[in-house]
Amino acid sequence: MVYTAASPASGRAEKISTLEISHISKAFPNIQALDDVSLDIRPGEVLAFMGENGAGKSTLLKILNGDYQPDKGTILLNGVPISFPNPSAAHRAGIRVIYQEPEIIPWVSVPENIYVGELPTRFGFVNRQQLNAAVQNSLAEYGFEQVLPIHLLGYQLSSAQRQLVEIMRALKSGVRVLALDEPTSSLTDEEVERLFTLVRKLRDDGVAIIYVSHRLNEIRRLCDRVAILRDGKLITVQPVSELPQSQIVSLMVGRELSDVFQRRDANTGRRVLEVQGLHSTWHRDIHFYINAGEIVGFSGLVGAGRTELAKVIFGADRKTAGRVLLEGQVVNIRRPDEAIAMGIGFAPEDRKREGLILIRSVLENASIAVLRQLTRLHFIQRQREYDLVSGYVQKLHVATPSVEQIVGKLSGGNQQKVVLSRWLAVNPRVLILDEPTRGIDVGAKAEIYSLLDELAGQGIAIMLISSELPEILGLSDRIYVMQNGRITGELTRAAASEEKVLALAMTDNLSTVSDSSLR
Amino acid sequence: MTADSVQPARKRSIQTENSGFRRLINRIGADNLSLLLALAVLIFLITVASGWVGLDGGDKFFTWQNLMNSVAQAVVIVGLLAIGETVVIVAGGLDISVGSIASIGSVMSASVLVGAGMFTTITFLPAGSVVIAVGMGIVVGMMAGIVNGLIVTVLRVNPIIATLGTLAAFAGLAFLLAPDGKPVGVVTQPEFTWLAQGRLFQDLPIPDLNGSKWTGVPFLTVILIFVTVIFHVLMAFTDFGRAIYAIGGNETAARLAGINLNRVRVLMYMLSGGVAGLAGVLLTARTTSGNPINGVGLELQAITAVFLGGAATAGGKGTIIGTFLAVIVVGVLNNGMNLLGFNTFVQRVALGLLLIGAVAVSQWRQAREEKARARAMARQA
Repeated sequence: MVYTAASPASGRAEKISTLEISHISKAFPNIQALDDVSLDIRPGEVLAFMGENGAGKSTLLKILNGDYQPDKGTILLNGVPISFPNPSAAHRAGIRVIYQEPEIIPWVSVPENIYVGELPTRFGFVNRQQLNAAVQNSLAEYGFEQVLPIHLLGYQLSSAQRQLVEIMRALKSGVRVLALDEPTSSLTDEEVERLFTLVRKLRDDGVAIIYVSHRLNEIRRLCDRVAILRDGKLITVQPVSELPQSQIVSLMVGRELSDVFQRRDANTGRRVLEVQGLHSTWHRDIHFYINAGEIVGFSGLVGAGRTELAKVIFGADRKTAGRVLLEGQVVNIRRPDEAIAMGIGFAPEDRKREGLILIRSVLENASIAVLRQLTRLHFIQRQREYDLVSGYVQKLHVATPSVEQIVGKLSGGNQQKVVLSRWLAVNPRVLILDEPTRGIDVGAKAEIYSLLDELAGQGIAIMLISSELPEILGLSDRIYVMQNGRITGELTRAAASEEKVLALAMTDNLSTVSDSSLR
Repeated sequence: MTADSVQPARKRSIQTENSGFRRLINRIGADNLSLLLALAVLIFLITVASGWVGLDGGDKFFTWQNLMNSVAQAVVIVGLLAIGETVVIVAGGLDISVGSIASIGSVMSASVLVGAGMFTTITFLPAGSVVIAVGMGIVVGMMAGIVNGLIVTVLRVNPIIATLGTLAAFAGLAFLLAPDGKPVGVVTQPEFTWLAQGRLFQDLPIPDLNGSKWTGVPFLTVILIFVTVIFHVLMAFTDFGRAIYAIGGNETAARLAGINLNRVRVLMYMLSGGVAGLAGVLLTARTTSGNPINGVGLELQAITAVFLGGAATAGGKGTIIGTFLAVIVVGVLNNGMNLLGFNTFVQRVALGLLLIGAVAVSQWRQAREEKARARAMARQA
């Protein structure tokens, strides 16, 4: 093989290419992830991809990386159509996507990780001297020799260093298009600066760079143009300088709310759940409350700490400080079974991994949380169990041939209804729902929305975590917005809008306080 | 939404499928049906097919002498261990230490019974009481099981490693319990040895079978059946059984649904240990001595029977009835090979292959089910 120190400039002094995405569409069950997206990516510029969770950014990156194949449309490199059946084909074409957690081999050194699969050999042995020298040189060229000591082994590397290894892999094979997927989300301020320096240098060397981030001020500092995606469609591509911050946010949302469920006005009662000054590994000084009959939405970007907050309250994870009050009484919940005994239910985000026992029946999954109450001397009273579960199966319209059906054989929407049946059977005071409509078809969604409305009407306090803004806005009486393990704002139903929520979720209004201690 | 609208039609088609023969199969369970089939084939091979290849001895299989003594009685010890092991394996764990716990139970019961070793000085446990000897054997087994459970839950050691460690430690402990490490004889205690030699229903007017007289049912076999029924009820009809299936099926989901994982786990190891202790007691009665090597190697046969009985290595699947049938299959296999003159080394090879075969079949089935599920999901989408 040709063995040179990694330098994109040296390898490609010839005509530098433009990558053109032309009319790309990609559908998944229940969702059109990309809808006729056309875009060109030019050498020597940094192009930002922006959009809400689920807008289609990740799908587009995965198509560029050869992980997915588009249903329609073509990718052109210098005007020639190309296709990537797999990631290595994309790499050969000089296109690299750097994901947040790159594949790193834990027990080998940095140079070996960089040259994995194509190590220089002499007489069948790895030529370490040559290898180390080459990697050292290219690191020095970009000013990273201090940041990424080459003697470290894979498992010793931080997130930033792992990304750097992946970038070096890309550089050594002559990268033409480099995509970075939220690269700064786990970096310290200093590491971010170093990364920016590298990105600018690569840009000046003629690499086309795609930069995916939610951080508006980073986009402003680093990027030349912004491409905004919404619901799988490309909304606009414009120079950053022409787009004020507020307009970026409104372009990202800008959805008609009319077709989304609108909750009737709620009668909210006494304060059921209150959290005061809660701290944990993920959280800092969380204060909030939920009244009886109230649906309180928790919004924020992926990784803001909402799921973790639910788990801390439910006793599945630990808090390090603060108080949780139930009906005004301080409670100490150490395990999920204690939370359930106090009348708290929790439907987790990942139904298959955390919610259901897929190989067991609808009956067993729905009755599990109240089973103790359905026993006499530990013997299950089958008729009572059957009646209880059948009641909820009918009430929630779970489409299943019988309650004996294995839950894994049901569709996503029906599985979620089984989870909800379980928690309704508990007769809860507080119901925590984490992404209750994820991966569910439109009809089942509507059913779940009206169910939540009805449950709130019965006086249950509902904590609704959702990444879908229309869902949060349509259902919530109040909204808390989280960012980086804190609550950054509280909005009433009347005051809330997609723009306001997103601004609270994304704007780096905490940047004056160093967040590195949170990590 | 289409799933809802087609529901009535789908419901009807499944009801018709369930009628008659299918319902019978569902009642028995497909796994158990294949075990019964395997048993029939095995008996055919032993009694009929063996003659075709010139092996003799197969004609002795269907005699009361053979069926009652060499099959029904011989499977009891392994059967008990396998029943306890089923609970652990269904919950996604493993207990390799059951053989060593049986050894401890064996030495313990003998020592208490005859007042040997340290029990010469302990006066509150009167020597000569069968009930106390049996009870102490079970209790010490439960205590050993609790130790296993605490290692797995509190110290968070992987169950295979934890019980591999206690397999060695309990084996050593059995020797330490025995005075000077020597077996404790109980020949002088006929009431105790009756546990193994006793026969029930000897007077029933049951005709001879191939010239062999009715011998009655071994008391040991009655104990096995009794324990099987208890454990079947425990696993199929109680909240504890549900928790075991839930933990084995999806540990995280079970915890988030309010199951106290640690408590259930310690309990299940305690049950497995208690049954192993009882097996040890019965070993003492059968061999007329509390010998620290009584339980050595039994865990392999027990674990084989559990997997042969339809349990999944990943947990969440398996039944007591399945294990019981598998124990009979293993017993008939051993017995058949004895009758046909295969030596014990061949038998060990066969047993080892059987364990691998049983798990391979279960893995293959699991993979097939997952594929079918994925296909079904794809169709719905």
